[in-house]
Amino acid sequence: MAAASTAAAGADAPFRFPREYSFPAFFTRQTNLTTHHAQLSKWSALVLAYARHHRVFRLGLSAAADSDLFYNRRLDRRLGMPDIRELLDFMRRDGRIEYASGGGGDGGGGEGGGGEGDVVFVYWRKPEEWARKIEKYVEETGQKGSVLTVYELGQGEGTRGTDIHGIDNEVLLKALNVLVRKGRAQIFGQDDSQGVKFF
Amino acid sequence: MFLKHIDLTTALRPFYLPDEVLLFVQDNVGLYEGKFKLPNYQNGQVYLTTHRICYVDKEDPRSYSVALELKEVDRYEFYAGFFKSSAKITLIPKPPKRSSVLPSAVSGASHQRNGSSLARSDSPRSNPEQPSATSATWVCTICSFSNPVPSNFDPVTANAHTPLPPCLACGIKPTLAHVLKAAISGANNRAMNAPSFASSYPSLDQSVATPRPLSENLSLDLASGPQTPQNDEDSTFQCPRCTFSNHPSLLSCEICGAPLISRKQSPPDAKSNLNDIRSESPGPVIENPKKTEQGNINVSESVKISFRKGGEKIFYERLKGSMTQRKWLLQDAPPAPTRSRLADEDPSNSSPGRSGKKAAGIAGLEQLGLNMRKNNELIIGSAFEDLEALMASAKDVVALAERLSRQNSSGADAMSAEENKLLAESASQLGLITTKDIVGSGGSSQSLYLSELSRNVAEFLTDDSRGVLKQAGGIITLVDLWAKFNRARGGVELVSPMDFEKAARMWEELKLPVRLRTFRSGVMVVQGLDRTDQATIKALLAWLKDLHEFPPEKEVPWDWQQFGMGVTAQETADRFGWSLGVAEEELLMAEEHGAVCREEGLEGLKFWVNYIDMGDVKPPKSQAQRDQDAIVKALKKSGMI
Repeated sequence: MAAASTAAAGADAPFRFPREYSFPAFFTRQTNLTTHHAQLSKWSALVLAYARHHRVFRLGLSAAADSDLFYNRRLDRRLGMPDIRELLDFMRRDGRIEYASGGGGDGGGGEGGGGEGDVVFVYWRKPEEWARKIEKYVEETGQKGSVLTVYELGQGEGTRGTDIHGIDNEVLLKALNVLVRKGRAQIFGQDDSQGVKFF
Repeated sequence: MFLKHIDLTTALRPFYLPDEVLLFVQDNVGLYEGKFKLPNYQNGQVYLTTHRICYVDKEDPRSYSVALELKEVDRYEFYAGFFKSSAKITLIPKPPKRSSVLPSAVSGASHQRNGSSLARSDSPRSNPEQPSATSATWVCTICSFSNPVPSNFDPVTANAHTPLPPCLACGIKPTLAHVLKAAISGANNRAMNAPSFASSYPSLDQSVATPRPLSENLSLDLASGPQTPQNDEDSTFQCPRCTFSNHPSLLSCEICGAPLISRKQSPPDAKSNLNDIRSESPGPVIENPKKTEQGNINVSESVKISFRKGGEKIFYERLKGSMTQRKWLLQDAPPAPTRSRLADEDPSNSSPGRSGKKAAGIAGLEQLGLNMRKNNELIIGSAFEDLEALMASAKDVVALAERLSRQNSSGADAMSAEENKLLAESASQLGLITTKDIVGSGGSSQSLYLSELSRNVAEFLTDDSRGVLKQAGGIITLVDLWAKFNRARGGVELVSPMDFEKAARMWEELKLPVRLRTFRSGVMVVQGLDRTDQATIKALLAWLKDLHEFPPEKEVPWDWQQFGMGVTAQETADRFGWSLGVAEEELLMAEEHGAVCREEGLEGLKFWVNYIDMGDVKPPKSQAQRDQDAIVKALKKSGMI
């Protein structure tokens, strides 16, 4: 449950839930198609904002179902598991989440904790966006042409203070792979000690 | 006679007079005045009641609906229709007051009928013919049998060539002089009896002395040879039986003796009206009917009802019935004297103590009750003696039934009192019900029945005194309405659910002020035309908005000032007076429109103002598309495609 612990990590200021979060009907699946879509969109925005605020990259579903995100203790209302799954499906179609063991074809490993489909990556920034961030960082720091380890990028001292710092390893690899496909970088090395060279 | 403009009910049926009973309805009829169509009255329904014949136009019922009172009808005739001409029923008005000018047709008819000398003016030949005709006899010289002088024998015009019928007994032909003598003496006898005729025979002898041909028809007789026909060819009149062309002034055919209806009867009015422009076939149309104010039409001649889709036979039968019954006479008449009157008096006579001053106390009450029961017994007894008496005392019986049911309801619990009242009132409505046998036969009888039923139900719904819709909060399920409607019919002539539904579906088509709504679940409800979905949603939202203002009864964890309260179907039903099913459906309808949203919780399904979709979310398509577009753009930029 590494993901859950990540979620609890950076909670400096309390997250401001949107207005709908305190609306009881928000936790019931709506049958009207238009309303339902609006509901999903709002939930999606809420999940992303929540993840961004807490810098959550992986979400363990069973843990999250009991977390503040899906369970409003004050109202005693919660989003049921089937509804959460539906929401995640909706977000997946939007490219906002990805099941950890789903194997999106990005070459990401299936090493996430929990059972099949229990853990999802929450892309409050999509891999392409992360790739742009990394490229920008590399350019700004003048490290084009040099070699960096993946660990350096994610956890190293050099990225401290930037958005990239603390990024989930797998998400980082997905972002680097985007760059590789564009021909802007190359990954080499073993599983644990991978390096990357930017062009 | 007047075709009076009538008022229609909300369901576009005629308002009935008190005690008026609907007998028959037929659609697809047209009205004629005399021989001419009345414009704008050519496609409608005719309602035959005990008092009137009402015509309700199909296109513009409010402006072109008239009624004809049966009491103004003198005779009615039936015409069965022939080829393209539809069956018709002619209603002939009672003759107007003497002072008014008689229509030519009537005068012609009377002239023909009683054979008086009213209209002797046309030709000198036709003058003295009729009076002598019937009464005179000639005695046969051979067998002394007294034969009647032939009715067409004209002593003025008779000559040697006049064919004379042989003696009825021996078959020997009489001489002309013999018959002439007999005819003249017969005429003289008549003239003695009726002195006014004497003046009409001033030159009888002279005319005998110079006999003239009887008619030009005699030229056909071989023996007579070419005579000089004094009349034109077209003035002959063909006998309907043997087609022999008779002289127009003859009353009966010269050959076969069949009575002739002279053309004189009809042509005058036809000619006078020929100047009118007639555009339509088959029948001519009167261009400018004599309309008085308020849409009444003054009809001087007969009124014809043309049945273009059948139904005329039953109409005629029922018309006959109602003309014989003459219910309108009873309209303001006091109830028929029955023995119940006597019953009132008898006890008072038999118990002299009571008549003077009332008996006091319980004894008095008992006495009163006893009398009442006796009276009731008598009413019922006499009413059921025979059917005629039942019809006559129908008023009393209905009143009695109502009283009895009121008594029952006061005895039973108060809940059913209202329903009993409805039952009792229904008795007075019995006359207005639509049944299958009051509508006409023919191809469209089923749809006519349904449309009549449809109007009937609509009237039932919109009737303010019943307030069926109002009691149900302006909306009632079709099943409930069906039950109520059948109950109001008092258990007779019940409507089948199928017919009822079909009738309800016709409201829209008939433009009636109620409408049938089918909810998504298939539940069908009935409501006023003014109650649209939007109006209902508006009412719901206004109510939900009120809940933002007033604090909830118990503590709620959410911000009630911002979100208000969720409401259940039960609460909604209570609030609006709807039935639970209706409330549920209305809420679902509002949800469908996106006005409210649902919350399933421990307390059941609740509905809230839709704060989820406030219109701040972009429509689904565009968002996905935009993302896709962005990806494609990025890919293009990077040179992948």
